Amino acid sequence: MKIKYNKSLLLLAAIVTLVACSEDYLDVDSREDISQEDSEQTLKGENFVTGVYGMLTDFSYAFSYLGVTEIISDNADKGSSPTDSGADKEALDNLQHTTSAGSVRAMWELWYKSIGRATSSIEFLETSSMENAALKNRLIGEAKFLRALNYFWLVRSFGDVTIQGVSEPSERAPKEEVYAYIEQDLKDAIDALPKKSEYASKDLGRATKGAAQALLSKVFLYEEKWDEAQTYAEMVINSGEYSLEPNYEDIWRVYTENGVESIFEVQARGESIAHGVQQYSQTQGARGTSGWGWGFNTPSQNLVDAFDAEGDEIRKNATIIFPGETLWDGREVSASVENAAYNEKAYSSANAGASDTDKNIRIIRYAEVLLIHAEAANEQGNASAALASLKKVRDRVNLPEYTNTDQTALRMKIWNERRLELAFEHDRWFDLLRTGQAKDAMAEDGKTFITGKHELFPIPNDQLIQTPEIPQNPGW
Amino acid sequence: MKNYLLTFILLCCFSGFAQQQTISGVITDDQDMPLPGASVLIKGTTTGTQTDFDGNYSIEATNGDTLVFSYVGMEPQEIVVGNTSSINVSLTVSTNQLDEVVVVGYGTQRRSDLTGAIVSAKAEDIAEQPALNAMQSLQGKVAGVNIINSDAPGTDPKVVIRGVGTASAGSSPLYVVDGIMVSNIQNISPSDIASVDIMKDASSAAIYGSDAANGVVLITTKSGKSGKAKIKVESFYGAKSVLNPVEMANGQEYINYFNEKQTSTGGSYQLSPNQAYDTDWYDELIGTAFSNNNNVAISGGSENVDYFFSVNNYNEDGLLKDQRYNRTTIRTNNTFKLFEGRLKLTPNVNLSFTNENPKGYGVFNDAYRQSPLVPVYYESGQYGQSFVNQSTGLVGYQGAPGETIGRLNSIGNPVANAFYDNQKIQTTNLQGLFKAEFDVTDWLKLSSRFGATKYYYKKRVFNDVKGRWLTSDPTRTSGQFDQLKEENPTSLTYVNNDLSYENKEEFRYNWDTFITIDKSFNKHNFNMLLGLTRDLRNDNYRSYVKGYDVPSQEQYWNIDMASSDYDKIAEQGYSNIRTKLSYFGRLQYNFDNKYFITANFRRDGDSFFKENEEYWGNFPSFSAGWVISREEFMSNSGIDFLKIRGGYGKLGNANVPQLNTNTVSTDPGSNSNNYVFGPNQSLIFGSSFGTPVTELTWEKTNEIFAGLDISILESRLSANLDYYNRTTENAIMNVKPLLNSAFQASYYDHGGEVNNEGFEVALNWQDQVSEDFSYSIGVNYGYNKNVLQDVKPAYDGNTGGSLANGQITKRLQEGQPLYAWWMYEADGVWQTQDEIDNSASLESAKPGYLKYKDQNEDGIIDDRDKVFMDSYLPKFNYGINLGLNYKRFDFNVDAFGVGGNKVYNGLKGVRIDGGENVTKEVYDNRWTGPGSTNVNPGADRDAVASSYYLENGDYLRINNISIGYTLSEDAIKYFSKLRIYATAQNPFLFTKYTGFTPELLQSGAPNETAGIELSAYPNVKTFILGVNIEL
Repeated sequence: MKIKYNKSLLLLAAIVTLVACSEDYLDVDSREDISQEDSEQTLKGENFVTGVYGMLTDFSYAFSYLGVTEIISDNADKGSSPTDSGADKEALDNLQHTTSAGSVRAMWELWYKSIGRATSSIEFLETSSMENAALKNRLIGEAKFLRALNYFWLVRSFGDVTIQGVSEPSERAPKEEVYAYIEQDLKDAIDALPKKSEYASKDLGRATKGAAQALLSKVFLYEEKWDEAQTYAEMVINSGEYSLEPNYEDIWRVYTENGVESIFEVQARGESIAHGVQQYSQTQGARGTSGWGWGFNTPSQNLVDAFDAEGDEIRKNATIIFPGETLWDGREVSASVENAAYNEKAYSSANAGASDTDKNIRIIRYAEVLLIHAEAANEQGNASAALASLKKVRDRVNLPEYTNTDQTALRMKIWNERRLELAFEHDRWFDLLRTGQAKDAMAEDGKTFITGKHELFPIPNDQLIQTPEIPQNPGW
Repeated sequence: MKNYLLTFILLCCFSGFAQQQTISGVITDDQDMPLPGASVLIKGTTTGTQTDFDGNYSIEATNGDTLVFSYVGMEPQEIVVGNTSSINVSLTVSTNQLDEVVVVGYGTQRRSDLTGAIVSAKAEDIAEQPALNAMQSLQGKVAGVNIINSDAPGTDPKVVIRGVGTASAGSSPLYVVDGIMVSNIQNISPSDIASVDIMKDASSAAIYGSDAANGVVLITTKSGKSGKAKIKVESFYGAKSVLNPVEMANGQEYINYFNEKQTSTGGSYQLSPNQAYDTDWYDELIGTAFSNNNNVAISGGSENVDYFFSVNNYNEDGLLKDQRYNRTTIRTNNTFKLFEGRLKLTPNVNLSFTNENPKGYGVFNDAYRQSPLVPVYYESGQYGQSFVNQSTGLVGYQGAPGETIGRLNSIGNPVANAFYDNQKIQTTNLQGLFKAEFDVTDWLKLSSRFGATKYYYKKRVFNDVKGRWLTSDPTRTSGQFDQLKEENPTSLTYVNNDLSYENKEEFRYNWDTFITIDKSFNKHNFNMLLGLTRDLRNDNYRSYVKGYDVPSQEQYWNIDMASSDYDKIAEQGYSNIRTKLSYFGRLQYNFDNKYFITANFRRDGDSFFKENEEYWGNFPSFSAGWVISREEFMSNSGIDFLKIRGGYGKLGNANVPQLNTNTVSTDPGSNSNNYVFGPNQSLIFGSSFGTPVTELTWEKTNEIFAGLDISILESRLSANLDYYNRTTENAIMNVKPLLNSAFQASYYDHGGEVNNEGFEVALNWQDQVSEDFSYSIGVNYGYNKNVLQDVKPAYDGNTGGSLANGQITKRLQEGQPLYAWWMYEADGVWQTQDEIDNSASLESAKPGYLKYKDQNEDGIIDDRDKVFMDSYLPKFNYGINLGLNYKRFDFNVDAFGVGGNKVYNGLKGVRIDGGENVTKEVYDNRWTGPGSTNVNPGADRDAVASSYYLENGDYLRINNISIGYTLSEDAIKYFSKLRIYATAQNPFLFTKYTGFTPELLQSGAPNETAGIELSAYPNVKTFILGVNIEL
């Protein structure tokens, strides 16, 4: 018996020793996420740049963005059911949004997060030991293009804004500084990026030299630097890379994606694994019997009237879905859908109301560059160059050539042309602000535009809570 | 026998020779099993001894001395020494609460010796209220423990002990089952549980260190006792229905309400007064559900082996058609005693299998909202939808050419939605324990135990895409779908169906080794514990596969049979394993059973915080007690027992849901990290840097507490009072990065203090009036005040409580309870447009809409006008328990209540398109024109979150009325005991709340929908008939 006791004691002593092992027991490696120290080995700069593009597919572009670009303008109404306010969409539609408007907050945040991703990927690439220098430069160029695009969207919405890494989070850099920052990024991108035709087929959809030039000309347009705007527009026009689609309505078909007119567009696919701008087609799809969507962001009567005033049937029908209409793909839209009009440019034939559709969203296309060129040329007194570019745009939709060389009249004509050509392409509100037409246009639409306030969106209240020192925009 | 003879001989030889004599004998329990370590004391002296392994003792005593025989959990016995030198004593199990054994973590203690606050429940308390999970049965029975329940089959109740002390870390208590650390007890049959001990105070819980901040629930399962085999059979059947149904407006009322809304909004049509249907959706959706439970347990023991074996099957249907939950558990608990009982080996195994067909609760929401004018089925047999012919005003999808068909609302058919919700979950839980206890000497014990849990989970979801497509619009045909499918061969919109399987595996173990020293010198009694633990958890695996177009018959639901036309989705991943290394110790000392001191200490190391300097932490505690009633001067006070106790303890909460290292975010599906490139639009996976982490360590909670236990009137009345004040000094908060900063994902950081202060009272009266009649009354009450304080700048402000319509209802704010309600204050109803034009109003305001108070009087209604309005967390909860025994009848009534909180009636408040139905109460009290009411909004109203929908959350529920009748051996032949009983669970609810249930667990997370009724499962009442048989 005694021996057995001792044996048991030994056994227990052994157990104790086993349990009380060293602290190595606490060294456990991450399995869920790749830790940053290992990221150099497993991930490439390319992955991080893809992550910046990916931000363009965020849900905010499918709902909040509609509110702050189109619904707020005279082109569109809130849509949907009268009692569904779409959070703040009704307020935006009535120009009664507040500093708590969720759509404004969502875009403010999303643009900054996209910029953050772009900057991180640039830093990652610059310090990486990537051997293919050409690829490295190109990727940095793509990230700079995307960063510039997001800053542009920010500055035209909010005016002075924080520049990440340059100003403190509680400070706002003057908008001139922000524009200078955007210009520098785009110039770097133009140097680094290949032309559209120089890309390998698998890279279709990436930012190109032409995209950076086109965006820069648009940025100059907003800055009213007419000479530079015209110069960069001409670079695109003379590059030989782009032309107009012969049929206007074809621009929103699957088969013209990344086509001759496309300069930069958000890519999407509707097949498994489907991935597009999440719910972009659904939020704007027809609502009610035989409908497929939520029915937000509906073309206004004001827009229909603008088309009619110009006798512009082609673009009206390509832009607007009317109840009772049979769509180009044979889909019958019931006469009893809930709203009087829907945005046809957001319609996906194959995926209709699915949450991820094949709908590529055109950000900049050749027709806009022609209109930027026309506007910049006209502002510099070069009416003939302006008329030539304007003619190309109007010819396609069978509208008569415009010949009046009076600068003021031509300016109004070009602005109206922008409205009809680019309706529902998320520029209308900023065109109204940029050109000083907002107050009158809103009054005509039955809304009160408060001068000195509505030129800019408010800095979101949640940002003010986080950084109380950050100055608010005037009037808010 | 030998001992007897020896004693007898000794007795013969020595009787009469000396005053001082040796008394010896055996101490056994009432089953004749020897009790080793029982104490024998000469009353009034410090002379005493303890029994050996065989229960033998021997002591020198004088004629006339009184010997006190005692053992933990047994009724002490006193015997005066006479002529006989052999005294054998059989101790019976104590019925006195003060003598009951309490599990204190790595050991046990007598209740009267406790210096902390541990509440206990026994098998009988659990059996009184049959449920799936033992914690559900204890609702209202333990002071200071708030158990929030949901009546949906298979739910794990939320247990909050002494308030929620964290903003973002886990808030569930630690469960320890026979020494195995687990995260819940869903796999344990309540019939297998012998006792539940809940450590409320920090000084007791500190022995579990960084796992203990939310309290510790110690479960002890049943084991065999020596003696002949006992067979127990328990069986019950129950029927359930909705406890507190809400009356909805009927068809005619709906028409009036709808038309009033149409008039106000300028809608293009009115509903005709003559409609074909008047559907009561709740009637159609909800049926009476049945449950049953069968349990067989066999237990017994011999000299070398104690055994316990049980099988349990629990079956519960939900209120919805085809909603089921089934659990089978098998348990075997055996103890092998070797070397005369000095070495005890205990292998325990518990297997649990569940089979579940859950249904989403969204249909309860749909049933509330869908119009009564919509039929369940059209005459064609198709499901009804909310179509309305706007030209005729008749609800239906048909119309003559030129007529407009619209929708009343965007709600689906609740019955169809429930039908298409096709999910199946199967789980297997294997839990095992191996324990070795070795008595080295009579005062030194060595123990080692290894407990592990392996869990398998499989979820199948079948989605009949085509069926749903056809159902959503009765004018659609199968041919149309097929044609669309042909035209769009790659589109996921036109797949016939999709099928997914999710598999999860989880593993954790803990291995404890410790020594226990029990030693007494004179009146000094010591108990010491020293040990260490290795602990591994979160070893989890997940895989997910999804395919499209499988055959429609269930037997072919394999991903292998999915169509090759669509890419299948496959995801798989391992979680981060977490390990812990701990050292712990406890010292208990008492002098003369009057003055008690306890000190606990634990030192934990945690792999999750390994990048932190502080990944080792110390958790000390100290407490003391004084049993005043044992003092001389109290001997004639009439007080049977009086103790005061108090102490301090430090605890940790290491339940932070991430490994604390900087990571890169990637995702295999449709996600904003990924993008499409190339002519074939290939999905390219991208990545982004996660928000940089801050250094995290566990949350540290400090508590001071004091308590008093008293029993008077011959122990008929007893009371326990407790006070505590606990502060989590470095509460982990989920912080949203600055909006204009580079990083998106919220991160965790220590950012504030959470204070919980409260008191608990428990009163018990029990009286044996006569041989035939006894009764007891128990009342308990717990009050808790929760506040968030000392928050880092910009760290609060996170919002929560989303109503899923763009409205939020909660906000985290310094000086408020955690995620307090935050919304507009309703301030009457707009009567006229004139009034709106001349006051601050929302842009949507119209006559009949609720008016919101312009708190800052700046003429604009925005977020700055929202105000804090209390919390969803009850400030107090209470329980009342009554018991009567008369002859063979037993009768019990239990009630449970909470108060001091608010709940949000989201069903009432959330409207999307104005065509939803309302309750009769809303209909009857609505605004109908200027002057009609300044309280309730009209038929046309907004869905903005406001105090109007925030209601008092107080309720009192009778949660148990039961009556039983027991027959025993003398009355029946074959059984030793037979009890039949009938129970009504939750038969009555008293509340002013106008929804279905004010008890709103939801996900349990404070920042989510806890306290908001929206897609919530209603409370149910259950009638149960049962029988318990002992053979």
